[in-house]
Amino acid sequence: MPGTPVRRLLPLPLVLLVASALVFLLPRASGLDTTRTVLRSRIADSVPDPAAAERVTRELGLDGPLWQQYLLWLGSALRGDLGLSFSTRTAVLPQLGAALGVSALLTTLALLLAGLVGIPAGVAAARRPGGPVDRAVSALSVLGATVPEFILAPLLVLVFAVALPLLPAAGWGGAAAAVLPVVTLALFPAALAAQLTRAETADVLGTLHIAAARARGMSERRLLWVHAARRSLTSVTALSGMFFAGLLGGSVVVEVVFAVPGLGRLLYDAVLAQDLPMVQGGLLVLLTIAVLTTVGTELVQLAIDPLARRAVR
Amino acid sequence: MHPAPTRSRAVVLALLACLVTACGAGAAPVTGVAVPDGAVSIGLQFAPRSGLAIDTDDAFVLTQLGAVETLVAVDGERRPQPGLATQWTQTEPTTWRFTLRPGVTFHDGTPLTAEAVVGALTYLTGVAAPPRAIAGAALTAEADGDAVLVRTADPDPILPLRLSAPGTAILAPSAYAGDGPPSVVGTGTGLLRITEADAAQGITLERFEQYWGERARVASVTARFLTDPTARALAFRAGDVDIVLGLPEPAVLELQSTPDVEVQTVPTPRTASLYLNGSAPPFSDVRVRRAVALAVDRTALAEQALAGSGLPASEIFGPAVPWGGTGPVPPHDPAAAADLLAQAGFGPDNPVTVRLWTYANRPELPTLATAVQAMLSGAGITAEIQIGEYAAQEPELLAGRYDMMVLSRNLLTDLPDAAGVLSSDYSCSGTYNLNRFCSPEFDALVAGLVEVPDPAARQDTFARAARLLEAESVGVPLVHTVDSSATRGVTGFVPDPAGRVLVTSELARTG
Repeated sequence: MPGTPVRRLLPLPLVLLVASALVFLLPRASGLDTTRTVLRSRIADSVPDPAAAERVTRELGLDGPLWQQYLLWLGSALRGDLGLSFSTRTAVLPQLGAALGVSALLTTLALLLAGLVGIPAGVAAARRPGGPVDRAVSALSVLGATVPEFILAPLLVLVFAVALPLLPAAGWGGAAAAVLPVVTLALFPAALAAQLTRAETADVLGTLHIAAARARGMSERRLLWVHAARRSLTSVTALSGMFFAGLLGGSVVVEVVFAVPGLGRLLYDAVLAQDLPMVQGGLLVLLTIAVLTTVGTELVQLAIDPLARRAVR
Repeated sequence: MHPAPTRSRAVVLALLACLVTACGAGAAPVTGVAVPDGAVSIGLQFAPRSGLAIDTDDAFVLTQLGAVETLVAVDGERRPQPGLATQWTQTEPTTWRFTLRPGVTFHDGTPLTAEAVVGALTYLTGVAAPPRAIAGAALTAEADGDAVLVRTADPDPILPLRLSAPGTAILAPSAYAGDGPPSVVGTGTGLLRITEADAAQGITLERFEQYWGERARVASVTARFLTDPTARALAFRAGDVDIVLGLPEPAVLELQSTPDVEVQTVPTPRTASLYLNGSAPPFSDVRVRRAVALAVDRTALAEQALAGSGLPASEIFGPAVPWGGTGPVPPHDPAAAADLLAQAGFGPDNPVTVRLWTYANRPELPTLATAVQAMLSGAGITAEIQIGEYAAQEPELLAGRYDMMVLSRNLLTDLPDAAGVLSSDYSCSGTYNLNRFCSPEFDALVAGLVEVPDPAARQDTFARAARLLEAESVGVPLVHTVDSSATRGVTGFVPDPAGRVLVTSELARTG
């Protein structure tokens, strides 16, 4: 199916164009006075000098009509220039790139960990529905899905950084610093992966073709891992795709608590500071990644799921 | 034989035992004696908001860490002292001559010259939003041998103080070479040299061996931006940082009883006040304003509502400044408040009913508002609390369309002089006169400061102005904020109420 990736990617430019208009307009709908907010973040004056406000408005390029600002921004974005941050007055793209790198690593490691823990746990639970393993996995996955990050993160720090000084409490750089943020971020997807894998594997184990395979003398281990668990990978992969895009920009709590210089924190601060180029650039990058991830996930599903391949044909 | 499970169980048991006994909290025995060339790490509560640009409030953190310096320094009494300039004279009403300190070297190895200072000051006056301290001063600078002539459009008796503001710090000419804001890495003159600056994570500094003043005892300092209060406290407890600022109250209480940890608390120039709209009834009547002042128990607010994380305010200025109010806290007398309300025509048949606004950006404010509401109720005033976003409330406040508001304000930021805040917040033409107060007597007092260059005389006027405001019940100062810090394994750390100095040459690691 060499045409499938192309077909999936064809609407992408149009989607991104619509998205660009939305990400340009959305931050402006906050009702905040951008010039005043930027001015206050530079020099926290209760009532900024009107002359300074006028100069800053000009410097930020906010003195023209909105459509003109949009076209200028879009033209620059198409040339790979997302402009200067209103806060730092330096290029947006390198800052986004650095933060994206951190978040991508954090998210990838978290999803890998979630898969490594969640999938085997789900498969093990599905072997004996209602058995002790199933009940334990079920209870733990409910716990994992319900404990919020802002509670789990300080708890992990208390245990592994304060009581047992094994890991740093906060910061970024080095494998040790990544452990607690990765574990915190991995808990929720791991819980969902376990529940999803358990449900799908149990379903497959009850089908006729598994019974037939068992009758042919196939080992339980092979039945479980090759035939049953493989089916559940499709759902888990789809889930990972959604999580990846979401966690890239959405792990604000983890990034703030562990002082990780990731994309979520960068964009959160940018929204508060009305740093429009940073917000717009960040949203555009995230949307692009979300669309690409969705397409990529679909292609991976096609590769691993024969049923999906047949449906496409 | 299953040795592995046995080992696993042993490890788990050991970990549990450790947890129960908090074995990690026990640090190595300390001698308390300073060790030479140590390294110190600091957890800061605020992250830079403008990429560490020197012309913004981010300059505060650079000054605190001893990386950059200004022409003029200030002492504990908030009076001008020699900095990069050793002396200054007002040669004409609009001209000051600053003689530069000889032998000063920038961190990039170039010497401090009059031309370098002129370049730095000219850059600052040219940015769209110059530092608050010099904004509107129409300042120009010119080299004059080993000195710099600084001219202003109008006579300015406090120009030396203006040039003590962190935003006016002088960087090496190489800092201004790029397109963006000046680079602060290796371009200052302070006792520590920045080697790496990451506005998202932190700053690393090393001792500057060619420093003109007393050499730092520490060899290096790492400052980390830990904006979450709980994470900051945990990082200190975990030993990730040796000094932590801005401790939340629960952490203060806990760390005060921790061995080897020193907790210090200093007042800050930030005051939380109850603003009263004096341009409309009922607060246009001074008797009602006085009734509100009498109804509020400021001591209870500080000690009970805020659990000691504030000091009761007797005037708008507190102990963080030399001219701050030192008198007793005004009395709490609900009965007298009710009498005053009766004199003003209010009572059970005609109760005072008002809206009490506040915002949640500072977590202590809703707590204060709730306590104030209960206290006012005791005097017969019904206040309906409305918590909103300050940005949305501000236009209404400035237009005088509100009743009362609990608001926190830093009365002195970078300039150790209160003339600006007294004028903007309390004069008839003040741009931030939320109380809508207008008194010719007060305006004359503040206007007279233009003729007063002497810091002591100015501070005396600030105190008189504050007393006048208290007498007229222009708002009710509730509590002065305090800042708590903790240290472990260091010596020579003295919190600065002005928040200007964090690292001094005395700071050292102990063994």
